[in-house]
Amino acid sequence: MENILDDFAHQNALRHVDARLKLVLGIGAIIISVSSASPAAPLCIAATMACITIILAKIPAGLYLRLLAIPFGFAATSGIVLVLLTGGGAHLWEATVLGCSLSVTAASVNLGLLAVARTFGGMCSLYFIALTTPMVSLFAVMQTLRLPREFIDLSMLVYRFIFVLIGEAIAIQNAQEMRHGYTGFKRSVRSCSMLGAMLFIRSWEKGEDLLRAMDSRCYDGRLELPRTDTRLSLRGAACVAAYLAACTLILIVTADIQVI
Amino acid sequence: MHIMEGFLPGPWWQIWFIISAPFVIYGMFQLRRLFEERREALPLLAVAGAFVFVLSSLKLPSVTGSCSHPTGTGLGAILFGPFITSVLGLIVLLYQALFLAHGGLTTLGANVFSMGIAGPLVAFGIYRLGTKAGVNTFVTVFLAAALADLATYIVTSVQLAVAFPAEAGGIFASLAAFGTVFAITQIPLAIIEGLIIALIFKYIIAVRPDLLVRLEVLSQNSVNKIREALA
Repeated sequence: MENILDDFAHQNALRHVDARLKLVLGIGAIIISVSSASPAAPLCIAATMACITIILAKIPAGLYLRLLAIPFGFAATSGIVLVLLTGGGAHLWEATVLGCSLSVTAASVNLGLLAVARTFGGMCSLYFIALTTPMVSLFAVMQTLRLPREFIDLSMLVYRFIFVLIGEAIAIQNAQEMRHGYTGFKRSVRSCSMLGAMLFIRSWEKGEDLLRAMDSRCYDGRLELPRTDTRLSLRGAACVAAYLAACTLILIVTADIQVI
Repeated sequence: MHIMEGFLPGPWWQIWFIISAPFVIYGMFQLRRLFEERREALPLLAVAGAFVFVLSSLKLPSVTGSCSHPTGTGLGAILFGPFITSVLGLIVLLYQALFLAHGGLTTLGANVFSMGIAGPLVAFGIYRLGTKAGVNTFVTVFLAAALADLATYIVTSVQLAVAFPAEAGGIFASLAAFGTVFAITQIPLAIIEGLIIALIFKYIIAVRPDLLVRLEVLSQNSVNKIREALA
């Protein structure tokens, strides 16, 4: 939990590009990769998004590779289930385990690869948003989208307190570890729940402090965000449009390509 | 159990957004009413949301060796009720996707339904039933948290199964397959989370029982009884 993507978003080279552009690019790429019928378009998106994030936004490549390991575990297990379960096409391998018939067929391999490819395309686009757009600029976008005020206010305060509480949690956990709090299973469960309980009590006290602080600054139920009016750069918009158009073209052209 | 970005194909990710929407919208209305009645609710709910986020990013001691995380929404539902927890769940899941790469944006609807709606509803229902029936508070909290976890995991398996039905046996066969694969990690995890949440409850009662009384989670009488029993 020490590695929060938002920290990198504050320092990346695309920090000052309009948040709406980055959102349209990221979400557009996600939707194209989810709706693709062949693994080609998602894999293209994964590769280009990784390049954009590492080269243009100057995110360290080592960190990026470590991040890609997160979806890998989930994609691998679920991909294997898909390959074994679904069917259609030529049978490549068959077995019966515990009364369940498992078969690997051409169509099931294709479906498994497609799901894994979509996951990587989607995750790389998600990493692009997460690593280039700090939450603070997303709040401004939420406001222009006219989401309910309560929701935005709550999100902003939750955001603020995540960092306060993570600091507390790390401090408590370090203290526990120094006193051998996580040696052995029983002791870990005990330490973990003590940590959770202290965290709840401390966060409550922080909440009460916040209320007093807001009251003394005349809080009337509205939190105002400073409006930063950035104008969309035409070049940026053109690049995003061109990229999304190219991806859509790949999606249409490669629709019939299958691995097996 | 987060479904990763891009894994759910259309039309399923859209369908789960549509299914989750009414719960979240109702939660928003409740939130608005709550803020109008009690203005101190906003900062307190905000720290609660942050608490759920941090709790769910804690590494749990795990038996199978894989790194596992509690969902944390079970505790949220016991403390604040299921609908407000679903709004908190939406915010927390959005942050988890953007900060920790757990889950995703297109799968947000499905994840909100399994972790922010199904889990909390189960936890809240069991907690209410248990308190009414006069079951020991810690047993009730354990059951509520553990079963909420299991409900989350079952709903996730259903979501994957309807999106990818098996060739032989259709949805039910793939439900069984996804269910068994995830059961290896999720059932021990549910038990551990239940234990931990019950212990968290115990420590809160030991240190600041007044917070639980004010949230109307426990009555002053039952707090006194529990403290006597613990002493």
